Amino acid sequence: MSFYSPVITNASEATSNEKLHLFKYVEDPQQHKSEIFESHGGYTAWRKVLGGMSTQQVIDEVKNSGLRGRGGAGFPTGMKWGFVPKNSPKPTYLCCNADESEPGTCKDRVLMERDPHGVIEGMAIAAYAIGCHIMFIYIRGEFNHCIERMEEAAREARERGHLGENIYGSGYDLEMIVHSGGGAYICGEETALLNSLEGERGMSRIRPPIPAIEGLYASPTIVNNVESLAAVPHIINRGADWYKALGTEKSTGTKLFSLSGHVKRPGNFEVELGFSLEKLIYDPEYGGGILDDKKLKGVIPGGASTPFLTPEMINVGLDYESLTTVGSMLGSGAVMVFHEGTCIVWIIKKLIHFFRHESCGKCTPCREGTGWLENMINRIEAGQGQPGDIEKIEEVCGNILGRTICPLGDAAVMPIQSAIKNWREEWQYHIDHGKCQVETDFSFR
Amino acid sequence: MAQETNEKAAATPVTMVTLTIDGQSVTVPKGKTVLEAARSVGIDIPTFCHHPKLKSVGSCRICYVEIEKMPKLQVSCATEAMDGMVVSTNSDQVKQGRRAVIEFILLNHPLDCPTCDKGGECDLQNLTFAHGTDDSRNDFQKTRFREDDMSTTFDDKSIGPEIVLNRNRCILCYKCVRSNKDAFGEYDLGVYERGNIAQIDSAPGEQVDNPFSGNLVEICPVGALTNRDWRYKIRVWLTETTPSVDNFQSSGSNITFSKERQKNKIYRVTSRPNDDIDDGWLPDITRYGYQIVNSPDRLKKPLIKKGGTQVEVSWDEALDTIAKRLANIKDSKGSVCIGGLAAPSLDNRSLYGFSKFFRKVLHSNNVDYRSDCRMLPSSSDTICSRLAMQPFSISDLDDSDVIVVFGSDLIREHHNEYLRMRKAFNFNGARLFSITPYAVKAADIAELEVVHRPGKEEFVLQAVCQAAVEDRLVDDQTAGRFREQVGNVDLTELCRSAGISTDSVKQIARALASGKKISFVVGEIVTRSREREPIAAAICNLNKLFGLHDKGQVAILARYANSKGAQKLGVVPVPHKMLVDKMNVLWSETPSCEAHNTDAMLALLKKEEIDSLFVLGANPMMVYPDLQFAREGLERADFLVACDLFETETTQLADVVLPLCSWAEYDGDYVNLEGRNQTARAAIKPIGESRTGFDIMAALAARFEASDLFEVDAIESEISQMLAIADTPALPQEYTQVRASEDKEKDGFDIPLYLCDDPHHSGHLTEKSPSLAEFSGEAYAEISFDLANRLKLRNGESVRVESPVGKIIIPVKISEILNTDVVLLPRNFSSTPTTALMMRKRRVDMVKLSKVDD
Repeated sequence: MSFYSPVITNASEATSNEKLHLFKYVEDPQQHKSEIFESHGGYTAWRKVLGGMSTQQVIDEVKNSGLRGRGGAGFPTGMKWGFVPKNSPKPTYLCCNADESEPGTCKDRVLMERDPHGVIEGMAIAAYAIGCHIMFIYIRGEFNHCIERMEEAAREARERGHLGENIYGSGYDLEMIVHSGGGAYICGEETALLNSLEGERGMSRIRPPIPAIEGLYASPTIVNNVESLAAVPHIINRGADWYKALGTEKSTGTKLFSLSGHVKRPGNFEVELGFSLEKLIYDPEYGGGILDDKKLKGVIPGGASTPFLTPEMINVGLDYESLTTVGSMLGSGAVMVFHEGTCIVWIIKKLIHFFRHESCGKCTPCREGTGWLENMINRIEAGQGQPGDIEKIEEVCGNILGRTICPLGDAAVMPIQSAIKNWREEWQYHIDHGKCQVETDFSFR
Repeated sequence: MAQETNEKAAATPVTMVTLTIDGQSVTVPKGKTVLEAARSVGIDIPTFCHHPKLKSVGSCRICYVEIEKMPKLQVSCATEAMDGMVVSTNSDQVKQGRRAVIEFILLNHPLDCPTCDKGGECDLQNLTFAHGTDDSRNDFQKTRFREDDMSTTFDDKSIGPEIVLNRNRCILCYKCVRSNKDAFGEYDLGVYERGNIAQIDSAPGEQVDNPFSGNLVEICPVGALTNRDWRYKIRVWLTETTPSVDNFQSSGSNITFSKERQKNKIYRVTSRPNDDIDDGWLPDITRYGYQIVNSPDRLKKPLIKKGGTQVEVSWDEALDTIAKRLANIKDSKGSVCIGGLAAPSLDNRSLYGFSKFFRKVLHSNNVDYRSDCRMLPSSSDTICSRLAMQPFSISDLDDSDVIVVFGSDLIREHHNEYLRMRKAFNFNGARLFSITPYAVKAADIAELEVVHRPGKEEFVLQAVCQAAVEDRLVDDQTAGRFREQVGNVDLTELCRSAGISTDSVKQIARALASGKKISFVVGEIVTRSREREPIAAAICNLNKLFGLHDKGQVAILARYANSKGAQKLGVVPVPHKMLVDKMNVLWSETPSCEAHNTDAMLALLKKEEIDSLFVLGANPMMVYPDLQFAREGLERADFLVACDLFETETTQLADVVLPLCSWAEYDGDYVNLEGRNQTARAAIKPIGESRTGFDIMAALAARFEASDLFEVDAIESEISQMLAIADTPALPQEYTQVRASEDKEKDGFDIPLYLCDDPHHSGHLTEKSPSLAEFSGEAYAEISFDLANRLKLRNGESVRVESPVGKIIIPVKISEILNTDVVLLPRNFSSTPTTALMMRKRRVDMVKLSKVDD
């Protein structure tokens, strides 16, 4: 085996459930081939679009479907496309954000590895909607297999006439460029991604201007997540109303969740938005319960940058609104589960190390603050905590939250703040006794 | 001129927005940031990463403000001022935010202020004093960037000939990297690593040695970037400052001298930002050129040649000798036998005094300031000189949508204009076109760079005109008139002769026809060419065909600090008629005898028809583009007087040498290339017994009993009257036939030679500056990679450059820019007389190159 390690997709539910579409064919080992993809109804939406839909019709369809960005922020996709100025003298660009780096998230990877043409079809429709003729996909540098699959798929799509000049005789030209990132979490942030794509250092830009007005090469640019784009062909094929009927009123459609940590059946699951978190963890069809049947300690519901949920909060729908009401976020949909045998300081130490390492160094609070936080948290974890450290950490978190250019600063401090809020006595114990209150159980590795 | 620009700006309607800042109502044009709005009414918001001439990046976060209806603190440098905004710059939340940022920045800052050169003028020190706390809550080891010794805060990483980097002190405002890239177009500095070990460093394998690198040190808000010029020499609070003006460049950047109190020594030059001229950026020549002032090599006493050697004498003896000899020659052979050359970097008073002494006291018209030009026309009312007198404004480059640089290697000639052009491109999307006989650095951002065959300038211009006529880019009447007066020329033939493609001239023609505001700037490659007149005529044709004057500016750029002043004060043999008229009024008469320019003077010296030459600050032996011709002339002079700061090739031949003050030692006025008269104040007392040009002329006049002509007040009033002559001579009303003559081919000499300035030098004086010598210390022959390959030469190896008249052996420098067979030789190094290869009668000097085998 080379670099490719299979990701569990748990797609059995999807194949049997007509409502679920993203993972419908991912278990088919030939799905990445254009021929097989087409036999499963692939590229019909793209043909339908070029066969007579106006750009405004496409935008309206997606707008009406209620599709929201699956990268983390949850911004309505159709509305984003509508921001591109009409009749701009500059070219417009579409960039698919495949820099999936949020700890715990591994959903886009499956789509790119197993259903790359689904991504290309979604990208093509989005490109058409915004009048773009060169589209990019920026793939996380470590995803070698995805890069190979996407490059192969792009080549195949061009060969088979789905991309290139005068596609399906419609007069529409579209080229695709697969770009490999250099291994920086920050490049998942759209403006840093654009900087990196331009050949600059991957650092966020200030807004305004938003990328839809001035993005790649100072031209109007739309950056969409892989999963958002992969949903687009299905919306075009089955209509906005079908899509709107899925999920909740404000969070429509299905969503991929990457379940990891102390559960019996970790993996990726496609469920309708609003699906119960409790069910996702405990249902035998899904997570199958906590490893070793231990008690649950806490859950990070949307990737490493979202606040923790405690066991009493997990009876909540997995959608944008419900998670906000319990003080967390849907984020990228990476559900990380921790059982009772995990020291909270140890978890935070791991997280802050990641964010300190990934801070790009541009703005002061994040650059300096994450380093200071890591120093203090490491010291507590090493049993050298000082009285007042917890308060200092809280204060430093407050000085970072909401004061940085991009959300990386917020992402770094939100889990810390919630970890202190929920398990303060454990932190205090660590400082007072110089050791963990709960000895971390590493057996699950 | 400044006023004119303001009027223009006022004419275009600007939407205004009104907001409230700290209870004060502020109205600013739409598009301004909250920070700019606040500063416009004197409310100060602290900043580190903000620079008025760069795009905002909002990275330091110190400029937080609180804006009503926005829950989070906003960075004022990147928040656009909107109508009705209510901003607080001093609320508790803002104060807390600022304190937090200072705390974050100080986490890893070494606080080695006592040994830091920035101490006393450090933004971080000042802002910590104003907004920080007096104790740190950080109890961890600070980040250290020195691998070999973690105990010290000193990093002292040399990243260029002048710049030393201390990464520990760096607060990562990125101003250096941003300005280097966005303002100077240089990529030799970058950011490496990330998070709290992100660090500024020179690009791998490179040195930060671009011609603007000194600015990086000046804009550093802390002591992370320091230069060797200033490091560990003096504390800033022990210095006092004097406002002055640059003496090495024609744009006259505004500068400040820092000197130690009570001592006669200058310590540094910093910028005195003037948005109309320099935008606060100084080229390194300007920043480090001052070092010549305190050079130990300065001439301190007058010298007289006695028995073959020059010996020190008193001023009285020197002046008496000069007066006696000049009077002698004047009486015995006539004043037409006396000539004078003055340097175009001298102040108005010296130049005017020089001209007045010659014309009014000696009754000679033989004065010239152009000692670096060959084959000058005898008349001054030529098309070229009229073109040189057209108005030009540096700041008008900013909003020009089409800029054409014709015959100028801007980075070697006009650094400020080079930066303006980049600014127009980077910030306003100007389209740039470069037309030169060899590839130039400025063209890296050009939409099109046309590199034509050397010596075919007028063909390119004619081709552009022809293309416009053929492609009907101008109206039929204009085209008809052009055809009628110039005739129809074959476009393909023109392009073939010039060695360019027809597509490229058509592209330029389209840009000129569609441009709304056009700047057409002409440089030294034209003014120093023998065929400057036909080229100027071709420029005028182009100007008339496209109506360039009505949509912007067409100008030949003046080259030296006071070239424009010399031109306006008539320091030429035959000044323009309106200047002569004024002189007649001021002096009641001007001599009517024959007038000779530099060329003619040197030729007549050789023929012994001129006996005496008085050289004020010029160095024809180094810059006249035919060394042999210059030497033959000067060696035959019966009586040669040379005034200079240093011993030069010219002073070595002189019978009397007078020590000249540098511009830092007296109050002087200089007219920049826009015609802007600026004052440079005396920073220090004259070095040794040196005197100003004017003092020398006045002292000589006294010995001719003409002191009354040199009373300072009267002279000042005369100068201002001369400078006030505003009439711009009209350019030709009709199209002219362009007829240039060609050089005869000389067998075997196949590579064109261009004499130029090194980007770090200007004229013959700057090599005495140790810092500039660090950047570029010896002469070199710059050739393309391709040519070097064919000659099997590697960088730094010696090459023999031979012309029909001379031969030099010189290290080769492989250019990253040149792409044709051409050799560039800098003329700034006295050790290698590059002018020895040149022949005055040639349009383009041709040489042959060969590898020197050991």
